[in-house]
Amino acid sequence: MKGFRVPLCARMRAIAALLPLLALCACGRAQQTTTRTLYAMDTVMELTLYAADADEEADALEALIRSTEGTWSVSAAGSVPAVLNAGQEPEDAAREVVGQVLALSERCGGAFSPTLGALSELWGFSTGAYYVPTEAEIAAALQEEKWDFGGAIKGYTGQIAAEYLESTGIPCAIMNLGGNVQTYGEKADGTAWQIGIQNPEGDGCLGIVCVSGTASIVTSGSYQRYFEADGVLYHHILDPATGSPARSGLRSVTVIARDGLTADVLSTALFVLGLEAGSELWRESDDFEAVFVAEDGSIWATEGAALSGCDYEVIARETD
Amino acid sequence: MKPIENPPAGSGKRRLAALCATRSGRFALALLALFLLLLGTGLYLLRPTAAAQVEIWSEGEKIATFSLYDDQTFTVETAAGSNTISISGGKIAVLEASCPDGYCIRRGWCSGGSPIICLPNRLEIRFLAAGLDGVTG
Repeated sequence: MKGFRVPLCARMRAIAALLPLLALCACGRAQQTTTRTLYAMDTVMELTLYAADADEEADALEALIRSTEGTWSVSAAGSVPAVLNAGQEPEDAAREVVGQVLALSERCGGAFSPTLGALSELWGFSTGAYYVPTEAEIAAALQEEKWDFGGAIKGYTGQIAAEYLESTGIPCAIMNLGGNVQTYGEKADGTAWQIGIQNPEGDGCLGIVCVSGTASIVTSGSYQRYFEADGVLYHHILDPATGSPARSGLRSVTVIARDGLTADVLSTALFVLGLEAGSELWRESDDFEAVFVAEDGSIWATEGAALSGCDYEVIARETD
Repeated sequence: MKPIENPPAGSGKRRLAALCATRSGRFALALLALFLLLLGTGLYLLRPTAAAQVEIWSEGEKIATFSLYDDQTFTVETAAGSNTISISGGKIAVLEASCPDGYCIRRGWCSGGSPIICLPNRLEIRFLAAGLDGVTG
């Protein structure tokens, strides 16, 4: 300690002078950005590219998103699901993606299925004509196996948008595809991306996950799309095992993964599986992290989820 | 009831004075102050951020910016329909809307989080929250 002679008040002044710098470091927004809002895939998308005058790249991204929507939309003529539903084979590139979706579906024990199109139409979630079907109607719709990639394609879109950005000079970007967040690159100030998790009860964020580099952050929640009939709430996340809205005790699941398709499919699958089986799937995996919000309001995060700003239980890799 | 014993008068002050008398004591105090400052700053930066301002967007264009502390009620007309929006006590809500699904109304009073979206009317209420890059949900 000898020789450390800076007076206390001077030291305090130095610390006080450093505080605004600290605040500056936490803000990556001073940089110039190019933003684009578009309506696609039944939602609002916001693209923020961290570069001035990147309209050309924003145009290219918008075109990429619209063509991906055309390729994968159930209702578009000649789309991959339309071809599959007609009993034909899609082209090679699409077949690879379909294979990845099926592999993910198998990995979560069928808790996500890309062939629930008829069921989703029956409940009215894909048409807006909400209806509580009978057991017999549900059984018939489950038999139908109609392809619908609705629960996977926004995540896939984020992923290929990030792949496109690699071919540009844009250093980093953040894209919000209707609640699916896709980050690209490291922020210029070196800090992690700070992504808020929407409070399922409506107002504000529950907590914040920190993500570095390119990643996909996807949330599936019972609050996102639902209807009420005879005092009962029916939400849009259908359990392939029962054909009805999943009753797993959860309000939302957020998945953070490098792979967008994985994040999108698994957020739905973990919601259907519930906290325990979902945690077990995470323990068997090494390619994602997850945050669960239970119906009782408790929050559970896997060890690597980097959640802050709220009280939560940690889901450990090893169980006692 | 047990009477509450008073501590010896000035004991806290005396201890502080004793701590300030030595260089290592002052250093420890400075360290403590630094720690508390950093803790405070950290908690401030990591708090789930509430927004002070909102922006109203439609079709990719910003229509208006409002403070959440400027109470008022107004109606926004877009090409697709109208939404009556109210700001009160740091929160905002859509009170009435011409859309068929009413999701924007069901969201209720909000001070932050993901945008309140009325997809049929092409209307968005975005929260400007410091420290957040995006919101999932």
